[in-house]
Amino acid sequence: MASTRVANSSFRAVRAASIRPAAAWRQQCLYHSYDYAQPPPFPPAEAAILSAAYSHVPNHGFTIDTLKLGARDTGYLDVSTNLLPRGVFDLINYHLVTQRLALQNSVQFPDDGAATKKMGVGAKVRTLTLARLRANKPVIHRWQEALAIMAQPTYVAPSVAELAKLADEIWFLSGDQSVDSSWYTKRATLSAIYSSTEVFMTQDKSANFVETEQFLDNRLEDLTKIGGFLGGLGEWLNYTGHSAINVLRSKGARI
Amino acid sequence: MPPRLSLGAPRTLSSLSANWVRIRPHRRFASSSADAPEVYDVVCVGGGPAGLSLLAGLKASPITSGLKVALIEGQDLHKNRLQKDASLESFSNRCSSLTPASVRNLQEIGAWPHVNTPRVQPYQEMQVWDGVTDVRISFDWNTAKPLLSPRNPSQPTTVAYMIENVNTTSMLLSRLEELGGVDFYTSTKVNSIDLGADTEKMDFSSWPTLTLSNGKTLAARLLVGADGANSPVRTFAGIESRGFDYGRHGVVASLKIEGQGWGGPDHKIAYQRFLPTGPIAMLPLPGNLSTLVWSTTPERAAKLKALSPDDFVAMVNAGFRLSPTDLEYLHTLPSGQADEVAWREKHTPVDNRAIPMRVTSVQAGTVASFPLRMRHADTYTGERVALVGDAAHTIHPLAGQGLNQGQGDAAALVRTISYAVQTGQDIGSTLALESYNSERYAENNAMLGVCDKLQRLYSVESGPLVALRSLGLRAVDAMGPLKGFFMSKAAGGT
Repeated sequence: MASTRVANSSFRAVRAASIRPAAAWRQQCLYHSYDYAQPPPFPPAEAAILSAAYSHVPNHGFTIDTLKLGARDTGYLDVSTNLLPRGVFDLINYHLVTQRLALQNSVQFPDDGAATKKMGVGAKVRTLTLARLRANKPVIHRWQEALAIMAQPTYVAPSVAELAKLADEIWFLSGDQSVDSSWYTKRATLSAIYSSTEVFMTQDKSANFVETEQFLDNRLEDLTKIGGFLGGLGEWLNYTGHSAINVLRSKGARI
Repeated sequence: MPPRLSLGAPRTLSSLSANWVRIRPHRRFASSSADAPEVYDVVCVGGGPAGLSLLAGLKASPITSGLKVALIEGQDLHKNRLQKDASLESFSNRCSSLTPASVRNLQEIGAWPHVNTPRVQPYQEMQVWDGVTDVRISFDWNTAKPLLSPRNPSQPTTVAYMIENVNTTSMLLSRLEELGGVDFYTSTKVNSIDLGADTEKMDFSSWPTLTLSNGKTLAARLLVGADGANSPVRTFAGIESRGFDYGRHGVVASLKIEGQGWGGPDHKIAYQRFLPTGPIAMLPLPGNLSTLVWSTTPERAAKLKALSPDDFVAMVNAGFRLSPTDLEYLHTLPSGQADEVAWREKHTPVDNRAIPMRVTSVQAGTVASFPLRMRHADTYTGERVALVGDAAHTIHPLAGQGLNQGQGDAAALVRTISYAVQTGQDIGSTLALESYNSERYAENNAMLGVCDKLQRLYSVESGPLVALRSLGLRAVDAMGPLKGFFMSKAAGGT
């Protein structure tokens, strides 16, 4: 009994030790603070393999071979790709997460106090979305493979979650501070626009992706139109509802 | 429980009657003290057509003529009056159409004989058409007759009367002067409206007390807000006004046209064409004159106002003749619309007798614009407060109903007050005023709703809705009795 208990506890300790670093890396704050640097999104070993593999994507695509090449480049065995239980999807996820986090450094807006003309939230969203799309440029010819993998039933949920985080990041960086129901609609519509533009971009052969830019502008314009229409509709419904009550009140109904 | 109730009721009754007894002997002394407010039965803020009509109605009725009433108006009403011998060559750009119901009301209160008749233009027909599909409807009492029976010859043929607003107010002022008994505070502004104080002599704590710019204070048993769309009285009463801005401006102008109109001097025709940016209407004035109301986007309104008189005239002619696409292009030209329109008209076939006669010139200084909005107050009455006219509702001008609604409000409020006086009620109590709100609110709400929906329906430029509205318009035009129903509603209902 005693020996098994020791064995048990030692096994537990080993397991705990092996899990702890990963747990620490994956620990997430439930809030955002400017005072503390966010921890890197991946543990060092994973990050090393993935970043090395990422450089092979343009040639080898989003495949298991790319991951193996990345492991070899960083001095690991081929088998150490088992660190990444989701295989190729982890490589795609690496691209999504790093490009999302790179946004806050790659796009700089002039301070609001500066003499230059103040940029509207809409213009900022456009710039950020475009910057994020341009970050796909090195891998865009392989991106359809990635989209196919993301569309696999197992990976749909994490892909959509990552898309939601991207939309949230863009609205956050553009300085949107809405705290009403538009918080949700803004993120939902931007997610839809971003994903459709991305699909368009995979087939765009124009120089410097001018057509993608045009496509994005058209979608954003649609959005303001719909927003204006919904706003008008809401205003009208509000008025009509109140007037119906007021008519009943004028006729003596106690409401 | 029951004993408690029976104890409570007599107690309130006795305290009320005690107050009453205490107040009465003091009332005649109340105004002698320097700081005590002057007590009025009705104080009307705002000397527009609705406010003046209300006071004339109160003074004209033997039941209510004993009430002590005051009128407060920021402008000098007597200076702005229409001169009796004013030239028939120039007309104010602020004109309205008075429905037969409004005219009947003005006749009842004895104001109509004071109108400057040569400056009033009745019209007998109205032509309305869709600028996109050219489907039209004609409103006249000849085609809008009951099924299978000939038109009743005793029925008047007039659809409505075009009248300058200044003519309406001058007529009502003349009638008020004839009747007498109204304290005018003109060129006087209301500095503040508060509830009065509970003094030894009288409890004014539920009475609106107005401080005027001339230092006087008035206490009102009933305060009537006839003070326009941004009504301070409505704000005082805490009544919210809801609605929306249309993002459109109404451009008005007094125009001279090439003749008396296609129907001659005895059969005048009003025209309205629905363009996607808003309706353009030309309404007849005496002689060769007409008045224009063109609702359009604020940018286009600014453009129209900045044009030279010749180009402006060309644009108005184009507004009734050319396609919406042509008009859109014409608005982008910096100048030279006159030549462009002349060239385009040669290539646009129109039935000249179906549209207004050509405009030849615009009266200098009459081109102006105002924003279009729709507002409706939540209720017209509060404790010792009633709202009439624009203070209660603001409407799109496409059916020319704004002034008439105000006249209807004034007449209804006169009826309510006179019933309260007859039955010995306090005319300011919400109970006495309730019938005014119930009589007018639903009716005005329906009219506001219809005009709002028409405006929205005709702002659509393409799609199935355009075909549908044209079909509907054709159907109404073909069905005499239905058309008659709409016309009698627009004429003020009978």
